[in-house]
Amino acid sequence: MSMRASGYQAMTVAEEQSGDFETKLMRINVGPQHPSTHGVLRLVVDLDGEVIARISPVIGYLHTGFEKTFEHRTYQQGVTYSNRMDYVHGFGHDLAYVLSVEKLMDACVPERAQRIRVILTELNRIASHLIFFGTGILDMGALTPFFYTMREREQLLDIFESVSGVRMNYGYFRVGGLACDVPEGFEHDVRAFLASFPKMMDQYAAMFAKNDIFVSRTKGVGVLSREQALEHGLTGPSLRASGVPLDFRKAEPYSGYEDYAFDVPTSTVGDASARFEMRMLEMEQSLRIVEQALDRLEPGPVQDPDRRISLPPRSELETSMEAVIFHFKLVTEGFHPPRGAAYVPTESARGELGYYVVSDGGSMPYRVKVRVPSLVNLQSLEAACVGGLFADMVVNIATMDPVMGDVDK
Amino acid sequence: MSPEGAPPHDAAAREAGPLTRRVADALESSGGRMERFLDQVTLRLPLNTIVEAVTRAREAGFDLLSDVFGIDWLRYPGHQGARFSILYNLYAIDAGERLFLRVDLDEDEPVPSITPVWQAANFMEREVYDFFGIEFGGHPNLRKILTPEDLEGHPLRKDFPLGETPTLFNEGRFLDPAAFRAGMIGASQGLTGWVGGARKGVVSEQRPEPSASGGATPGGSAGDGEDER
Repeated sequence: MSMRASGYQAMTVAEEQSGDFETKLMRINVGPQHPSTHGVLRLVVDLDGEVIARISPVIGYLHTGFEKTFEHRTYQQGVTYSNRMDYVHGFGHDLAYVLSVEKLMDACVPERAQRIRVILTELNRIASHLIFFGTGILDMGALTPFFYTMREREQLLDIFESVSGVRMNYGYFRVGGLACDVPEGFEHDVRAFLASFPKMMDQYAAMFAKNDIFVSRTKGVGVLSREQALEHGLTGPSLRASGVPLDFRKAEPYSGYEDYAFDVPTSTVGDASARFEMRMLEMEQSLRIVEQALDRLEPGPVQDPDRRISLPPRSELETSMEAVIFHFKLVTEGFHPPRGAAYVPTESARGELGYYVVSDGGSMPYRVKVRVPSLVNLQSLEAACVGGLFADMVVNIATMDPVMGDVDK
Repeated sequence: MSPEGAPPHDAAAREAGPLTRRVADALESSGGRMERFLDQVTLRLPLNTIVEAVTRAREAGFDLLSDVFGIDWLRYPGHQGARFSILYNLYAIDAGERLFLRVDLDEDEPVPSITPVWQAANFMEREVYDFFGIEFGGHPNLRKILTPEDLEGHPLRKDFPLGETPTLFNEGRFLDPAAFRAGMIGASQGLTGWVGGARKGVVSEQRPEPSASGGATPGGSAGDGEDER
């Protein structure tokens, strides 16, 4: 009776069967400050009942104008900015940036520096995937795994801190090599991590990969076919989950990745579960790479000896006028790459990452275009979500693994 | 972008990969020109052929559209020709070949959108529109993407100033960001007359030739045409 009094008319069976009643799409705003949107992502979702009819991401809340800033800083100063974009996989951004500038400068990076770069980038990839697992599963309602993944990530951040001085925004790579050599005990710390991490991975497998709730939340959810993924420019582990074995570490090796034996895990299923699985398998491969790089890590210089790029050693400044001049020029002005442009694609934890650096012959880049994977990957969200349930959207966002700093630049 | 002494079209074509050559051959009638720098191949095309070019490239096997981005040549020393370029970054996964397509255009010239051919261009073209103000004809949703709604102008244009906050010092001196920046890049005397970060190849009358630097800054290329002043 009370329903009638409030004007509510229950639908009769006849009405429902005839389809002769009014339905409307409901528009819902998710975010920008919602825990499951991994930062400040806003989604405008049109719902037909509980099924998603349309979804459009609204981004730019974290836009910082990095590309413009690059144009007003010297090449070497650019390292300060690159890692601030993808703050979860900072070494990956640093590496992509210095590789492009090194290509312009024709720099020759010593082997030791290359190996350390690979070790740090791969460890950072593991740290990034740990965040992916922790938060992704948190989004599905499981709180516990988050603490486990954060525990292992802490171990990695300690290594990064000992190397670069900070836990985030490392800025440790330089054009031509590294800022300085790794501290004593670095190898020991990394080996300790290599020894302990496989056991943790077994725990993860027990905690979620074989967890019934997890499996039923992800199996068959947000399926992206190979064609859909390519149509939307998807790259990285998510693309490999859709059956395209594209990994720039294999396709266009850089920093000596061609020396290491590792596999590119690929799946043809293309659903959220496969995207989780890819990252899990990738962590194993990263461990393999780190181990090989560590085995081949020999003592040696970590900076290109070329005086056009690197500062002269401190001891020389006291005896050589020429060294003082080079030092002065590099500090006040920086180096001048020849006119031209360079692009080196790299495989970040999220996909194809590359810096298109245009030089006008000056000491500051004329234009830096960052091909960020997160921004482009976000386009696939619509294809993955439409036709699915609203609750699955959260799973899809998590498996696209966007980092909003990487999206908004 | 093309450096001085870049190999001519024929040499670039010879070194290019088979897929790139196939695309170039298909577009020969429309006046494409191949350039090579480092190991990158850039195919320069007339503006109105870009949709056909992307279609052909996709047919030829370039199955990943990595990126679409703009460059504003306004301050590029010695640059002649149209003000903007748009570059399309394509990748052929199986062949491992990368190809850049480039079109040049002036202000207010609309570009045909490639979104009908490739949906991946949606965000990318919006980004170019947002940062450079280049309009894409036929784009389904050409709105700003990254900059705030209330920001006027297109930040990656070279005449868009860097937006520092003006600083008022205790003694009443006012630091204007634009003037300070002009000093820093050597376009004006600046606050102290110190010229740091000077661009190579740009000659400013006020700049004293740094003698201690051993003459590493070449001063001979006058008239490079950087319109800083």
